[in-house]
Amino acid sequence: MITVNNKHKLDWYEGMTVQDVLDKMDYVLPLITVSVNEKLVQEVDYSTYEVPDNASVNVFHLAHGG
Amino acid sequence: MATITKAGPKKYEISINGKAATVVEGTYLLKAVMDAGFNVPTLCHHKDLTPDGTCRLCLCEVEVNGKKRLVTACNYPVRGEIKVNTSTEEIKKHRKNLAEMYLGRWPNVEAIQNIAKLCGATDKEKYKSELTDENPKACILCGHCVRACSSFVIQNILGFAGRGIKRHLTMPFGEIDPNCIECTSCGYVCPTGAIQVADNMNNPADPELIRRHGMRINAMMATLDKVQNRMREVGTANLVEVMDSYDLLPVHNYRFGKHPDTKKIDSGVMKSQYFTQDAADGCWLGCSMACAKAVDSFELKTGPYKGQKVVVDGPEYETAAGGSNMGGFDLDFIVEYNFYCDTYGVDTISFATTMAFVMEAFEAGIITEEHTGGKKLKFGAMDEALECLHEMARGEGFGVEVGQGTRRLKKKWAKELGADPNFLNDIGMEVKGLEFSEYVTKESPAQQAGYAMAMKGPQHDEALLIFFDAINNQIPTIEDKAETLYYFPLFRTWFGLLGLCKLIWNDVIPPSNRDYPPNEAAKIPERVEDFQKFYEGMIGEPLDEEKMLQQSARVFNLQRLMSYYFGRGTREEDIPPLRAIGPATVEEYLSREERYDKQMKEDIGIDPGGKTVEEKLVITKDFRYKHYNQILDAAYKRRGWDHNGVPTVERLKELGIDIPEVMALLERHEQ
Repeated sequence: MITVNNKHKLDWYEGMTVQDVLDKMDYVLPLITVSVNEKLVQEVDYSTYEVPDNASVNVFHLAHGG
Repeated sequence: MATITKAGPKKYEISINGKAATVVEGTYLLKAVMDAGFNVPTLCHHKDLTPDGTCRLCLCEVEVNGKKRLVTACNYPVRGEIKVNTSTEEIKKHRKNLAEMYLGRWPNVEAIQNIAKLCGATDKEKYKSELTDENPKACILCGHCVRACSSFVIQNILGFAGRGIKRHLTMPFGEIDPNCIECTSCGYVCPTGAIQVADNMNNPADPELIRRHGMRINAMMATLDKVQNRMREVGTANLVEVMDSYDLLPVHNYRFGKHPDTKKIDSGVMKSQYFTQDAADGCWLGCSMACAKAVDSFELKTGPYKGQKVVVDGPEYETAAGGSNMGGFDLDFIVEYNFYCDTYGVDTISFATTMAFVMEAFEAGIITEEHTGGKKLKFGAMDEALECLHEMARGEGFGVEVGQGTRRLKKKWAKELGADPNFLNDIGMEVKGLEFSEYVTKESPAQQAGYAMAMKGPQHDEALLIFFDAINNQIPTIEDKAETLYYFPLFRTWFGLLGLCKLIWNDVIPPSNRDYPPNEAAKIPERVEDFQKFYEGMIGEPLDEEKMLQQSARVFNLQRLMSYYFGRGTREEDIPPLRAIGPATVEEYLSREERYDKQMKEDIGIDPGGKTVEEKLVITKDFRYKHYNQILDAAYKRRGWDHNGVPTVERLKELGIDIPEVMALLERHEQ
């Protein structure tokens, strides 16, 4: 089990990547910053960076528009 | 269809001079080479400009599938596993020869001398000719200025004319173009000083400081916007598909946050089938974001201009989302109501939100065809909605009632038709008499409070906290929300006071933003610094966040007092309708039953099992209003306002606006 934004629980599986988490959460905004257990993950690594079990994933969306 | 990229970019293992490097697909080879620690000479390259490949100095050898060839590294995108050699004997010879040619033509230009040194070229005489220009600040035809004019401010005033030895920099027809906006981008990127900037406008205290920060913004617009929000390409319409994805797009009078038909009105369809001119357009000439869009030759199907082809300014996100709110998932309808609202002087948001309320009232049987002049105003009744708009403009029929706005309709229908005033208040989306702008706020208490406390009513200029709260969960406590509700409207007010665009603030995000913790990153520190430097450059006084907020708070609190004076500045005017804070109907509850039940169990501490939906609606409503009022209390306190939302004497004194007229008003309030 992993936690997203200190709120949402997702079932963890072997090989789960940051991109998988974003897809699962339907997070599509281009302006996001992702950290896994407080370690910043670069956008180019989203599809290869593996999220460990029990991880805390923070996906920070920047407000825009208005 | 809009493109929302989900898969991450590909990466390739490449070899540069025998050294392994991992490169993201599409990276220009020059950057990859430089990142790997190798220096390659170049004259025409500039980090903030589109690569040109004209100086030919950055030539490198690339080996693909055993085949070697020379490429200009600055505009060669890496698209596979390649071997690169940056400095073969052939390349060295080529660069030296080129550098000697440059040296022969512009022997005293420092940038040329540096390149010559790097390439081992020392012979100034070899290519000396009648073209030789001894001026140390000569134009070297690098093209930086031409590209900056185009990509920084989208003007294309500067260009090259002539070919070969006659090539030269010019404005059209060799004359000073009166359309040049004097943005000084060309001078900023000129590497030789050939273009000199004369600062003689408005007498700013430090024009160079203003230029430095202005150009930093321009450069980011040119380089980052295309991979971030694509404001130049599709404007704010990019939000249509984003909001739908996050369940925040208003559908059917804010009942729902997404719809399968959103794909018919998203920015992809606008770009491919509606937006014309294929160019960015600004509110003012020279805006480097230039997010305005236009639809040319649009043939109107209704109203006084039926059959005529017109130019329509827009549609923006709010107008498109107004379409979904009315159930009008058709861009022909959206562009048409956009045009007629503009033509009649009607706000598209107020029209769409009021119309959505009317449609729900019609479907609920509160009003019938008898009241609407025979129009079946169900959700999605686009022709009928347009007819209401035309009636509104003509001052006849049911459209006149719609034109009174949501607040008056609620009162009228309760009084004259005997409709349930509570239900009308629950679903009529207005605060202070202004209709909500187009965001679903149910899951964001900070956005609810930001909307409802906003001076003008629920509009997003003062409040756009929906992602901070509902998605990021970065302001989880009541105090966190109160702090955000304190600074955010003050930021926005300050931008307005200085005439600075809020879209420039947070629609193109500097890379440095990743270095800040979330609650600081939300303020976009680098861009705020740019704005503060504009102030300093113009006025001559440095500015920090505290001083900036203080300036803004003086105006903001006076505005609140004026609002109070006009009967809109107290707590009862800061309370949103039920639908803004949660589900108002059984249908809505059921549409997100799993979520609401989970919240009831985890947040409220009540087991939803065995309860009817009606019972659960009441429990949810009571809990959410209680929570909302707690946030309001905390936000008032943080702003220095009393329990009723009126600025305290202490706060006014602190801000230095305790003038007699204001104090007299407050005394009246206390009595």
